[in-house]
Amino acid sequence: MNLNIDVDHEGNNKYVSLSGEIDAYTAPKLKETILPLTQDAEATVVVDLQQVTYMDSTGLGVFISALKSTKEYGGNLKLIQLQERVYRLFKITGLTEVIDIETDSTVRGGM
Amino acid sequence: MDFQSCVNIKKEWDIVGARQLGRDISKKIGFGTVDQARIATAISELARNIYLYAGTGKVCFETIENLNEKGLRIIAIDEGPGIRDVTQVMEDGFSTSGGLGAGLPGVKRLMDEFDVISRQGEGTEVNVVKWLR
Amino acid sequence: MSTLKLDLESYKDLLKQYIETQNEQALYRAEQFSKHSIQQNITPDEIINVHIEALLELYPDIPSNIQSSLNFLLETMISYGLAYQEYQALREKQLELQSEISVAANMQQTLLSTTKPEMSELDVGAISTPAKQMNGDYYHFVKDQEGSLGIAVADVIGKGVPAALCMSMIKYSMDSFPDSRMEPSVILEGMNRVVERNVDPSMFVTMFYGLYDPDTHEFNYSSAGHEPGFYYSAKNDSFHDIEAEGLVLGVDRSVKYEQYTQHLDVGDMVVLLTDGVTECRTGDRFIERDEISDVIHQYKHLSAQEITEQVYRHFERLQDFQLRDDFTMIILRREV
Repeated sequence: MNLNIDVDHEGNNKYVSLSGEIDAYTAPKLKETILPLTQDAEATVVVDLQQVTYMDSTGLGVFISALKSTKEYGGNLKLIQLQERVYRLFKITGLTEVIDIETDSTVRGGM
Repeated sequence: MDFQSCVNIKKEWDIVGARQLGRDISKKIGFGTVDQARIATAISELARNIYLYAGTGKVCFETIENLNEKGLRIIAIDEGPGIRDVTQVMEDGFSTSGGLGAGLPGVKRLMDEFDVISRQGEGTEVNVVKWLR
Repeated sequence: MSTLKLDLESYKDLLKQYIETQNEQALYRAEQFSKHSIQQNITPDEIINVHIEALLELYPDIPSNIQSSLNFLLETMISYGLAYQEYQALREKQLELQSEISVAANMQQTLLSTTKPEMSELDVGAISTPAKQMNGDYYHFVKDQEGSLGIAVADVIGKGVPAALCMSMIKYSMDSFPDSRMEPSVILEGMNRVVERNVDPSMFVTMFYGLYDPDTHEFNYSSAGHEPGFYYSAKNDSFHDIEAEGLVLGVDRSVKYEQYTQHLDVGDMVVLLTDGVTECRTGDRFIERDEISDVIHQYKHLSAQEITEQVYRHFERLQDFQLRDDFTMIILRREV
C-alpha cells in the first residue's frame, strides 16, 4: 500500500497528482505535502485523484485540514477526477457541499 | 581535577585515538578483554557524540582508587549546543533508531556510574565510571 | 538443567563434552544453556567472552592469531549486546504501555456504557467492537421524559487512543443535554459546535441521531455525514438506504442539519452502522452494502440483538478475524 505524490508549481497554481491509496499510513505524508502548499497566500491547489484507488476517513481529515487552511490564507482547494468510491466518501460526509469538487470528470465505476 | 590524559576530538579519526588511549589505560588498571571492549565502545559513543553534535571537544581519562576499589573515570566535555531534553535522550529507542549507535543509554549500560550535565548553548559534560571487579 | 549457571566451569564442561564427543546431547544442552542465558538477560558478548576464556583454559596453547580473531569477534559483538539490552528494555516498556492501555480501555467501556432500553414496542440490538483496544465508535440510548427513545451513533476519524479520547468528549457533551425531548437536528448542531471548538482541524466526527416516538411510530433523524443506515420494509421485504444529508461535525460552525422522518410499521427495521462496517475490505475487495443487507435479511427471523451478532461474525470471518476499523451496528425493529 503506497501513495505517490507529484507536485507541479505554476506561480500560485499548484497541481498535486496522487496515485495509490490514502489511509492511516499514507495520510501523514499527504498532509505534510499539501498543507504547506495551502499556506501560500491566495494559492490555488488542485488535487488530481484519478489514480487514487482507495481512501479512508483519515484521507478526508487531510482534505478538511487543507480546506480550513486555504480558507485561512485566502486560497482555493479543488479536487478533480475522483473515482466513484472515493467520491462517495465526500458525498456521504457532506463535504461535496463545502469542498470544490469537479464532478463532471468523476471517473464512474472506478473500482 | 588532575586528569591523567585527554584526547581532543576534532575529526572522526580522533575517535580511534580516544579508544586507543582508553584501552591502554584500562589494560594498565587490569580490566579483562570484555570490559576493555565495553569501555572502548562507550568511548566511541561519547567521542562520536562530540564529533557529530558539538564539532569539537575532548575525552579525558582518570584512574580512580579508593580503599577497596579501583576504576576508570571517563569525562567527555564539549562546548556544543547542549542537550535540550536529557530525559528524552536517555530514553531507549530515542537516538538509536536506524542502528546509528547505542546512544547515551547504551553508554550507561556499558559503565557502572553515569552522570550528564548539559546547558543549552553552553555545552555538555558526560561523566562515567567503570569499576574493576 | 535448571541449576545451570552461566559460569565458566559449566560452559567449559559443556564445550569439552561437545568437542570430544560431537554428540547431539551436548548440542541440546547448549540450546538449554542459551535459553537460560536469555532468561537471565545475559548478552551475546558475555557468552562469547565465556567461550574465549573456556577455550583458553582447555587449550592454553591456541595460536595467537586465533586468539586475536576471537577478541576481534568479541569487540564486534559488544554493540549487539547493547542492542539486545535495549530491545529487552523496550519490550518491558511495551508491556507496561499495553497494560496502561487496557486499563484505559476498561475505563472507556465503563464511561461509554449505555443500557439497551427495554420497550415493548421496539426490539433493540446493539454491538460495538473496537479494532484495537480503544473504541472510536460510540452509541448511546436515551429515553426522554415523554417516553421517546433517542439513539446516537458516532464515529471518530481514525482509531485507537486519539479517537477514543475524542469519543470521551462526545460522550460528556451528550450527557450535558437536558432530559426533555431534543430534536435530532438541534442535538447535531450543538455537537457540531462542541467538536468545532475542541478538536484538531484534521479530526472530525460523523454522527447520526434518531428519535423514535412509540406513540406515533415515527422515527425522526438527522445525520452529520454519517454512513447511511438501512430501512427495512416488512411489507415489501426490501431494504433501502436511510438517506440524509448533512456535513460532518467540526468543519463549519454555522452548519444547519435537516431532519427527516420515517414511519415504521410492525416488523419494519432501522439499521444504523458506522463505516467500519461498510469500509471493511477483504484482500482487495470491498464489502458492498448489498452484502450487509443480505446478511441481515438472512437472519431476520432472529432477535435484533442476534442479528447484529450474526452480521458481526460474518464480517469478522471475512476479514480473517482482524478488524481493520471499529465496528458498530444497531438494529431497531417495531414489534407491536
